[in-house]
Amino acid sequence: MRLNHSLVASDPFEKHLIKRKRRMSWGKKAALYTLMLTSMVDMFSMLVVFLLQTFSTSPEILINKGVSLPDSITASQVMEAPVLAVANDGNLYLDQKLVGEVKKVMVNPKKLMGDLNKIKKNWAATHAGVAFPGEINLQADKDVPSTTVSQIMGILTTGEFSTIKLAVIGVR
Amino acid sequence: MAKKVGLGSKKELNADLNLTPFIDLLSTCVCFLLITAVWIEIGSVEIKQSHGTEGSASKEISYDLDLVYKNAETLRLNLKRNGKRVRKFDVAATSPELFQEKLDQVLKEGALRFKNKTIKISTATITPRSTVDYGNLVATLDTLRKNEIVNIGVLSAKGQ
Repeated sequence: MRLNHSLVASDPFEKHLIKRKRRMSWGKKAALYTLMLTSMVDMFSMLVVFLLQTFSTSPEILINKGVSLPDSITASQVMEAPVLAVANDGNLYLDQKLVGEVKKVMVNPKKLMGDLNKIKKNWAATHAGVAFPGEINLQADKDVPSTTVSQIMGILTTGEFSTIKLAVIGVR
Repeated sequence: MAKKVGLGSKKELNADLNLTPFIDLLSTCVCFLLITAVWIEIGSVEIKQSHGTEGSASKEISYDLDLVYKNAETLRLNLKRNGKRVRKFDVAATSPELFQEKLDQVLKEGALRFKNKTIKISTATITPRSTVDYGNLVATLDTLRKNEIVNIGVLSAKGQ
């Protein structure tokens, strides 16, 4: 891009500006600013190729705050289903909503069962004539005791959510 | 970029490639892809409570595996044939990484080789302990799945 020092301007005001610029830069060398378009287009193209390669159309689930998922090398694609999360602060969340403390829920799972029943009812209302698949994503912090997770799984199985998918971070 | 093609005094043909719409398109593409990019790939591991994910009723002889945690770095493996224990293996290590390596080795050389024959294990059941964290359990699931044992169940603490 070269600064326009010619008087080819449509507007008298533009002409005035150009004249003023000439006067101000009298005796100075004309400045030449060059934008390297070729390298910019190259960089953009590379970015687009990289981002297209990493583009994923698989469904995504939100990771709850306070949950650091374990890594897995044999992970399969995640599915769209309700998300039950066991956070490291000792709380249990169903679809990002607090259900209660894990210890209390394990002793008295009434509230969790009620929430799960609501999900089942909503499913039945929107999918008339289709059998309930019982799918659920279980997110748990990697430092949570494994017995806690297995007990939660027990509650889920009792609540007819028998297809439990443990959410993990896929490592390749 | 600019290349003028013409013949002598005739009007020159301007064969400039207009880069502006090209850059516009690329910028839009970059913005869209950056917004929709997934930086953390979340996967899932299917698991069932107490029993495997698929039954093996059609097989005459079935081999099952019981994995009982004693603590985070000690595990007992029971190989069962038609429900009866035929072999047992103890896996012990000093660190979680070594533990998974040892478990993998025991599975390959011990559990999956019965009487010098390669066997297929239909289901595996893991009995967790409160001293074993969830990350360790998932690592064990990974090791099992790596060895083509995909029907894995986890016993609840009350079901021990």
